[in-house]
Amino acid sequence: MFMLRNPLLASLRSSYKPNTITNRLFSINKNLLQTPAKGQEILLKQRANRPISPHLTIYQPQITWYLSSVHRVSGVLLGAIFFGVSIAYGINKIYDFGLNDDSLVEFYKTNVPTWLDYTGKASVAYLFTFHFANGIRHLVWDKGSGFTIKGIYKGGYSVLAVCAVAGSYLFSKAF
Amino acid sequence: MLGFRSVAGSRSTLQTLTRKNQMTFNSLRYFTIPFLPTLPQNPGGVKGDINDNLKHPKSDKLSSSIHWKIEKVLAIGLIPLVSMSLIQGAGVSTLVDLSLSYTLLMHCYVGFQSCIIDYIPKRVYGHWHNRAMYLLTLGSLLSALGIYEMNLGDKNNGSVSLTSRLWTSKNEQVVEEVAK
Repeated sequence: MFMLRNPLLASLRSSYKPNTITNRLFSINKNLLQTPAKGQEILLKQRANRPISPHLTIYQPQITWYLSSVHRVSGVLLGAIFFGVSIAYGINKIYDFGLNDDSLVEFYKTNVPTWLDYTGKASVAYLFTFHFANGIRHLVWDKGSGFTIKGIYKGGYSVLAVCAVAGSYLFSKAF
Repeated sequence: MLGFRSVAGSRSTLQTLTRKNQMTFNSLRYFTIPFLPTLPQNPGGVKGDINDNLKHPKSDKLSSSIHWKIEKVLAIGLIPLVSMSLIQGAGVSTLVDLSLSYTLLMHCYVGFQSCIIDYIPKRVYGHWHNRAMYLLTLGSLLSALGIYEMNLGDKNNGSVSLTSRLWTSKNEQVVEEVAK
């Protein structure tokens, strides 16, 4: 009853032309048809416009990921020193150029300036204690414990404390 | 070129298209190593068309869990060795010194390996990834020889002794000036 009296529906009914509607719904627009190669080209263009996931620089500095990167950087620096000295000894084994403990210590004493000596030893002391303590923290996580937001912050601050104390002690031994 | 080898051979049009697009949409990584050439990347980092089958990566016996376990064994083994060396200093026994040095070498090797995998990936740098790995292996072999020499050579007393000597040595000129 309502339907029949509704003026809007009545106007629609009067303008109803079956052919036009079916044409619009079921006809194929020839302009939109593509060959597979053309389709692939469009796909590649769309892929090129995909957004790239943001890099670390967008994140706020937090202890969770800062300590992780310090762990890796400290490991690489200490490893580089280890590799440097041991490879020098290895090359010395092949082409004997007179490197041994005494000559290395002598070279260090005469050629390394004081500022470099103290900077290097302080860096090694703090980075080594940090890497050692944080490595244990990582092993505790691998065991399956302490891997909560609270535990990670607690562990992070403890590692920093240990690093400050033990690193200073180790550095003090250099004097 | 890594990209279009896997696209099925019969579709020559697709291949040329892929090649053209690889040239235009180059690598968009934020940080690349400036002196190493990078490979052109597929648009959006995706390879092939929507009908390509999934190609499974080759399985590697040492990857994932075994590699992970080796890493853990090395890291756990280093804790007592490093502690003993720190406590005893130069007086530590040759056996401990040797085990410390070789475990440390393996630990460093594994660590540098994962750094190469992360920062010189094969997808971006191609054969430069392999070259970095070979360089690391060559360096590690030399290092292994060096550790042997350091610990068992005639004129050397071991890496722990060397470290402790270097740690306490200072620039002699400064020491003399202070003494005057």
